[in-house]
Amino acid sequence: MVSVVPMAGPCAAAIRILLFAGLREQAGWAEQQWPAGPNGDAGLTPRQLWLNLQLPGDLDQQVRVAINRQFAHADTPLQPGDELAFLPPISGG
Amino acid sequence: MQLRIDLYSTGFEPLVVLARWQEEQKQRANTESPAEALFVGRVRGVAADGSELEALELEHYPGMTEAQLEQLALDCCSRHGVSSCLIQHRIGRVLPGEAIVLVAIGADRRGPAQRCCQELLEALKHDAPFWKREWRADGGSDWLSGNTPL
Repeated sequence: MVSVVPMAGPCAAAIRILLFAGLREQAGWAEQQWPAGPNGDAGLTPRQLWLNLQLPGDLDQQVRVAINRQFAHADTPLQPGDELAFLPPISGG
Repeated sequence: MQLRIDLYSTGFEPLVVLARWQEEQKQRANTESPAEALFVGRVRGVAADGSELEALELEHYPGMTEAQLEQLALDCCSRHGVSSCLIQHRIGRVLPGEAIVLVAIGADRRGPAQRCCQELLEALKHDAPFWKREWRADGGSDWLSGNTPL
């Protein structure tokens, strides 16, 4: 019997960070991978990443957070492989 | 409850899309909705600062925008007990006069149809990840940081 262990590539252990619209242009980038080992970054939150990345503006007043494409609180602990998006003020319809 | 959501990267004719949707609903249920409410939003020819608008650019978050629209629609339609919901929304570059959004709600009574249509429209304006950028005739542009007044 052969057991197959899935290999996690470097991206699988990272947090994918996305910026949109005016926030993307202010920051000067659209996407980054933040290394996050399974144990090394336990408790890392969007708020901490916002500060670490020195993103512009007021996170609480102007920006909404989405984790894995669902709105989330800025203090939610992140997991390796999560997709984190910082969303500037929405203006659809 | 019948639900359909589409994002268009090129122009769409809201009344043509609506007629097709109504025909599909009629064939499916062998009857038409007793009450229908609809909203069509089009791009103004004037920017927020009063200058001439060349175009509106609509950015979205692929995957999240569609999922969020579906969740908003299901929640709203369930609350109001309506029978059908059509949401059509533009993305990309939209010119003045072109349709940007169509919301059509079918129900048994006018009250639920109208209330659901208005509530869903406001929900998608505030809670579906879309971002508008105004391109002015002078070549300048600005991202909008909110919605127009109700």
